[in-house]
Amino acid sequence: MSTALHPVPESAGEEGYDWRRLHPVTPALRGWKALVAFVAIVGYQMADVLRDVVGALGPGRAWLVVLGAVVLVGLVGFVYSALAWRVMRYAVTDTAVHLRTGLLFRQQRQARLDRLQAVDVVQPLLARLLGLAQLNLEVAGGTGSAVQLAFLRDAEAESLRAQILALAAGVGPTRVAPAPVGDPEVGVPVDGAAGAAPGLPGAASGLPGAAPGLPGAHPAPVYEAAPERQVYELPMPRLIVSILRSTPPWVLLVAFVGVGVASIMAGDAGALFVIVPGAIGLGGYVWGRLNSGATFRAAVSPDGIRLRHGLTETRTQTVPPGRVQAVRLSQGPFWRGPDWWRVEINVAGYGAESATESVLHPVATRAEAAVALWLVLPDLGVDDPRATLDAALTGRDDDGGFTPAPYRARWVDPLSRRRHGVLVTRTALVMRSGRWWRSVVVVPHERTQSIALTQGPVQRRLRLATFVTHSTPGPVTPQVEHLDEHVAAALLQEQARRAREARAVAGPELWMRTAAAGLGTAGDVAGAQPPQSPVVDAAPAEAAPADTAPAPTAPAPTAPAPAAPAPAAPAPAAPAPTAPAPTAPAPTVVAPVRPTSAGPVPDDGGRP
Amino acid sequence: MTTTPAPLDAADDADPFDLHDVEWTAVSTRLTTARLVVLGVWAVALLVPTVLLAALVGVPWLWAVPAVVVVLLVWGALLVPRQVRALGYAERADDLLVRRGILLRSLVVVPYGRMQYVDVTSGPLARRFGIATVQLHTAAPGTDATIPGLPPAEAARLRDRLASRGEARLAGL
Repeated sequence: MSTALHPVPESAGEEGYDWRRLHPVTPALRGWKALVAFVAIVGYQMADVLRDVVGALGPGRAWLVVLGAVVLVGLVGFVYSALAWRVMRYAVTDTAVHLRTGLLFRQQRQARLDRLQAVDVVQPLLARLLGLAQLNLEVAGGTGSAVQLAFLRDAEAESLRAQILALAAGVGPTRVAPAPVGDPEVGVPVDGAAGAAPGLPGAASGLPGAAPGLPGAHPAPVYEAAPERQVYELPMPRLIVSILRSTPPWVLLVAFVGVGVASIMAGDAGALFVIVPGAIGLGGYVWGRLNSGATFRAAVSPDGIRLRHGLTETRTQTVPPGRVQAVRLSQGPFWRGPDWWRVEINVAGYGAESATESVLHPVATRAEAAVALWLVLPDLGVDDPRATLDAALTGRDDDGGFTPAPYRARWVDPLSRRRHGVLVTRTALVMRSGRWWRSVVVVPHERTQSIALTQGPVQRRLRLATFVTHSTPGPVTPQVEHLDEHVAAALLQEQARRAREARAVAGPELWMRTAAAGLGTAGDVAGAQPPQSPVVDAAPAEAAPADTAPAPTAPAPTAPAPAAPAPAAPAPAAPAPTAPAPTAPAPTVVAPVRPTSAGPVPDDGGRP
Repeated sequence: MTTTPAPLDAADDADPFDLHDVEWTAVSTRLTTARLVVLGVWAVALLVPTVLLAALVGVPWLWAVPAVVVVLLVWGALLVPRQVRALGYAERADDLLVRRGILLRSLVVVPYGRMQYVDVTSGPLARRFGIATVQLHTAAPGTDATIPGLPPAEAARLRDRLASRGEARLAGL
């Protein structure tokens, strides 16, 4: 299977691509969906017509007609899906994933790998039973997934994901097998995880496997999934309790009681039917939360954050490093007792309407919330991240160095004025708001799109202004309301400069290659070592350009999860004796050295 | 370490929306004319039926409707020139500033490297008055950087300038 999974250089031309088909069961799964849709629509919309037909034909004949119609529609749906499947092909090249679809209207789509925002493997219930999976590639822009490969075999989807991530990261295949003896280039082991050794021609050029054209060799590059380490997991009881403690059930309960009392007083039970849509809505809400939050697990890997969740439909998301645009930690009033937080993220590829994909942790304890934040932002850019986080989550006024809204803001926001606040750290902007519905938004400086200052008439009179950071579509909308207008203006200027400077050093599109090139040593792709320490323990790493490595290199004094001693990638046995192999794995060589303690960190806090 | 943003200008009377080191470029005053014409069209569309109705029905209090419309229109007409004067933009070395509004003021900073595309639009009325609108788009839908009322030549120059600067400073998302 994996023999066909080697990428083709873009220069090979469209016909030279290795066009592949999806799994043959696909049309059956798709046709089935069409049938269900038809039955649902007809049954719902045309019930009257059906009744007339039954009346005209008599019950026995009518059932035959209905059955015949259903079979006919099923057949048409299946045949159409089969034909669509026949023309649907995909190909993976070094720089893009291509997808050809369309029976009548042909469409060819190309998703560039350097623009890749996320890769999801989705398994709806039926597909899961058949051992199939769907691969979604997300790039920024447009609605829905850029490329949706449905359906592939489980293992195929996994290996395709590993391959796409490796290519997007700019590293070659894990190993090339079988390697013909005497061809050192092909035989060089290029470890996808432990580092694209910059010295190796095969790795540095990014042309893995080098060569279907080599004499006698038809190597099959194998992309192994990058090693990962789980950092947290959501226990089912907590999820259930958290749903019971969320706001909508209680609002609805109050409504139920209200309506019930009213209908008893009025002696008219008809009012009770008003509740039905509400109950259905609540059911949908509970099911949605339960289905997407069940078995929620998060892991770190050099490929980025990996999230697994789902009850009936399981989903494995991979968000590469630097793809998260903003994070929000929020807490409703009933979650305050157990101190639970919901962590959501903006990722450009997921868009605004995807509530399931944009969750980093459905119900986090405070320690887990810190870990979740650390997944996105390994270095919060302050000396004491834990204190800062506490001040952000539950503090008010100027706790933790926050700049709060001034006292005169009580006229526009008397209730939660003391929670409005903003903190600029070396790496991110932290915005705090909400008294009963607490919320903390963190935006890394280099992910700022544009910034704005707004002021309404009342704010103007009170000399207040709202500072807004624009982020990509998603659940998080970063803004701080009612700051002093001069403070907000200064923040605007300052933030424009900070974002510019952060952008200048950040932003590896091929994250692994950039990291490797920047560090210059083969063993130190930091991502090979799953970090073992949440933000609360991480010593602030110096903000050097080399720090754009995908995962942080923090030492782990106290690890919350079973701290594996970082075995990194299972180093592949080097099949080529001729290779100089500078791939000394040494995953921990540089790691303990880099995070210098607070001393030499340039303090630009004093700058005007 | 962490910064507490301190006011740049200690003077309390300074306008925070008028950044001190920025040269603002105003938009064309032809935008005022164009907007007044649009307002005029609305005036006709709203006043003719309401006045006719009041005249035909003959109920005195129905005249209150056109009266309210007139008041609103006059208010709008007085506001338009000020609104247009409040519009402004500034090209800095690394970003574009767009400022607008009187009652609801806003100031947007768009880094060139964040620009995804630039729109230049010009409707039939705008073409007649020789103005165009330039709109900048980033990956964030919230970015509201629209500059209406630019002379076509200036709009084209700004578009090309933005495009070339964006290319030079292009960053990923």
